[in-house]
Amino acid sequence: MIIIMDNHGQYVHRIWRTLRYLGVESKIIPNTTPLEEIKAMKPKGIIFSGGPSLERTGNCEAILENYEDFNVPILGICLGHQLIAKYFGGKVGRGEKAEYSLVEVEILEENDIFKGLPKRLNVWESHMDEVKELPRDFELLARSEFCEVEAMKHKKLPIYGVQFHPEVAHTEKGSEIYRNFAGLCGEL
Amino acid sequence: MLKEKVMLMWESFIEEKVREIRETVGGGKAIIALSGGVDSSTAAILAHKAIGDKLYAVFVNTGFLRKGEPEFVIKTFRDEFGLNLIYIDAQDRFFEALKGVTDPEQKRKIIGKVFIDVFEEVAKEIDAEFLIQGTIAPDWIESQGKIKSHHNVGGLPERLNLKLIEPLRDLYKDEVREVAKELGLPEKIYNRMPFPGPGLAVRVLGEVTPKKVAIVREANAIVEEEIEKAKLRPWQAFAVLLNVKTVGVQGDIRAYKETIAVRIVESLDGMTANAMNVPWEVLQRIAFRITSEIPQVGRVLYDITNKPPATIEFE
Repeated sequence: MIIIMDNHGQYVHRIWRTLRYLGVESKIIPNTTPLEEIKAMKPKGIIFSGGPSLERTGNCEAILENYEDFNVPILGICLGHQLIAKYFGGKVGRGEKAEYSLVEVEILEENDIFKGLPKRLNVWESHMDEVKELPRDFELLARSEFCEVEAMKHKKLPIYGVQFHPEVAHTEKGSEIYRNFAGLCGEL
Repeated sequence: MLKEKVMLMWESFIEEKVREIRETVGGGKAIIALSGGVDSSTAAILAHKAIGDKLYAVFVNTGFLRKGEPEFVIKTFRDEFGLNLIYIDAQDRFFEALKGVTDPEQKRKIIGKVFIDVFEEVAKEIDAEFLIQGTIAPDWIESQGKIKSHHNVGGLPERLNLKLIEPLRDLYKDEVREVAKELGLPEKIYNRMPFPGPGLAVRVLGEVTPKKVAIVREANAIVEEEIEKAKLRPWQAFAVLLNVKTVGVQGDIRAYKETIAVRIVESLDGMTANAMNVPWEVLQRIAFRITSEIPQVGRVLYDITNKPPATIEFE
């Protein structure tokens, strides 16, 4: 089962639906759920959803602090991606230009998460803030014209972040990204 | 997913929900607010399948319905499906309550409140214990996110001491259409474009008056007709009265008239949407008809914004 940490984003339920259509069990939980309870659910993977504010991301950061206790792949979406970057020492701030709706991203490194996807992908975005500086232990996986860090991965751990929303219907091959992530979690 | 597998999924979904509703309602009575849209129609037929005559469908004419809608809903649900349908004409009450109100959220809230008042009076008479609602996932997602208040998720159950049943709450619109189709609803309903709860009141920007609603109702009907004629299949196609007057020249005379915006979007579930690449000839035809058939309108605009950053509706 994959846990979806609800950071009050508009597309949280879409993540659940996308996984359901892939045949992967998942559960949306309040991001304030105590770590002990989350551990008891024995998640195979954790997703940090998007949302309006880093101030309202509850225990997402605590999960990263106690990563060894979980030791499962983590995927941050939009705000979740920014949260991961910030936690690992990257810089997050207001982008020069906001990105809404259709953006073409260039995939620089297929890695596990973008396996089998084309080099250029039309994705759907909705953000003003962005990752301005990649954390030291991370590598860049994708970029776009207006946003340098569209996707990233921890160099040693299975921790991923994407700035766009693979869960919405308008993102090309978005469910493939979730399929790859679920595969990493051993759920497919 | 394979087509047969999807069909099976909906078949078992319907069985499960019918059983749930039947067990929950037991020997009691249930009411539903029917709008004629895809969601409430599907919820109503699902509940009717489960509890038959113990379901009372209340259809309120707010004054903000589409052209021909009251007649269509009554004919379909009372005459064809045989539901216990209670029709209430409350147009005057809604217009009265909205006098002088211009803020979009305020408008939605007032409409929700009047709706509950009207509904409450009927519900008391029926003496039901359960309220069935066609709430779907984006409704409560957007309400929780404070993007928009959707009036069907308001404080109704608490006030009326009704137990709420929401059989469609985990579904998206495209999934509801599948369920509706599986339930045997006519294509005219399961392929209907989504229509907001507050209706045409949020398609007249600013203050809502019967005259302005009449204008947008005509314009909306023209947009829908032309889209159907062109065999386009957008998620939604509608007209909005911007409440902005602009100058025109008509038959060598200066005109100063209302402006209509046309919005046509494609989407799978309403959560994200793109402005549709509608053939120019179709747009021109829409502009021609609106300006020639509705004398109060002098200009027509096409909205090219996606969602995000805009929402599909204007308010």
